Amino acid sequence: MPGSALERLSVLIVEDNQHMRSLLRSLLNSIGIREIYEAGHGSAALTVLADKRCDLVLSDLSMKPMDGIDFTREIRQSPKSANPFMPIVMITGHTERHRVEAARDAGVTEFLAKPITAQSLYARIAQIMENPRAFVRCASYFGPDRRRKAQEDYAGPWRRSDDTQDVHVR
Amino acid sequence: MKKADFIAPDAYPQPVSRSDAAKISRALKSSDVLERGARVIQQSSSILRMGVLDYVRELEQAGSNPALVFDKAHEIRGFAETAGLRATGRIADGLCRYLEEAAKRNLTADAAVVALHVSAIVRAAHAKDEASRMSDVVAKELSALAAHKLAEAKTGAAAN
Repeated sequence: MPGSALERLSVLIVEDNQHMRSLLRSLLNSIGIREIYEAGHGSAALTVLADKRCDLVLSDLSMKPMDGIDFTREIRQSPKSANPFMPIVMITGHTERHRVEAARDAGVTEFLAKPITAQSLYARIAQIMENPRAFVRCASYFGPDRRRKAQEDYAGPWRRSDDTQDVHVR
Repeated sequence: MKKADFIAPDAYPQPVSRSDAAKISRALKSSDVLERGARVIQQSSSILRMGVLDYVRELEQAGSNPALVFDKAHEIRGFAETAGLRATGRIADGLCRYLEEAAKRNLTADAAVVALHVSAIVRAAHAKDEASRMSDVVAKELSALAAHKLAEAKTGAAAN
């Protein structure tokens, strides 16, 4: 897609398996993304981010020495973070509830369950670009708003500064 | 109690403008882009197989280390189908489900169930006819065995 907005995007792939990194790179190349950086784990990715501007991160969950959850926490909370609002897609074969919740509470933007398909990857990128998430900052959390659906019958407590009983969250 | 701050999307920098975002979204949903992506995965399958075989080797070497078996089984489950190793992925999925369920019930995973799954994963990943009917039968039998062992443990716990 020459000349498209996708060509201007830069993406960081954080994945410990070089074959999966290579696949993700090829999938991004095929939609016109050329500026792609790679890191094998969370701390290497932080080094890349200190030096390069990235618009989107695709990160594995399970990596050593720094996994995707700690990496996400660093991006969201570290005073050194270049962009605490960075969209982060967590790609994982681990679907246990406690892991998914830990990643969500660290501030992950979207999940992508393995096995990945081109359609599932592109759908997450489209979602992030077209419907960016609102962020929430409080004493115990900073990251994308974790409320995904409006609860029409929710009666409070109203804990966010813009909360009114008329607010509906998409 | 202090309320949390809500930061709307237009209050922080976005990577692309709204109109570009809409164009990107449309492009990424188009059938030719999806077909091209599917072809990329297909063309990468032989390289991906090497990645799966790395994990299979590590699974074999994990022996009786439950955390390592758990981790490698999940990696294989997440990877195998994309690499075109459907049966390997299915057996790994069965092992993951069994280990997750055992952990949820605070049970020690049955060593024989784990060993049989690992052996079947190794054989399937190296088989020339990976997606054969026999692989499906093996996956089904192992799944039944895992379910039986979990039910047995439940009955045992109830009797105690």
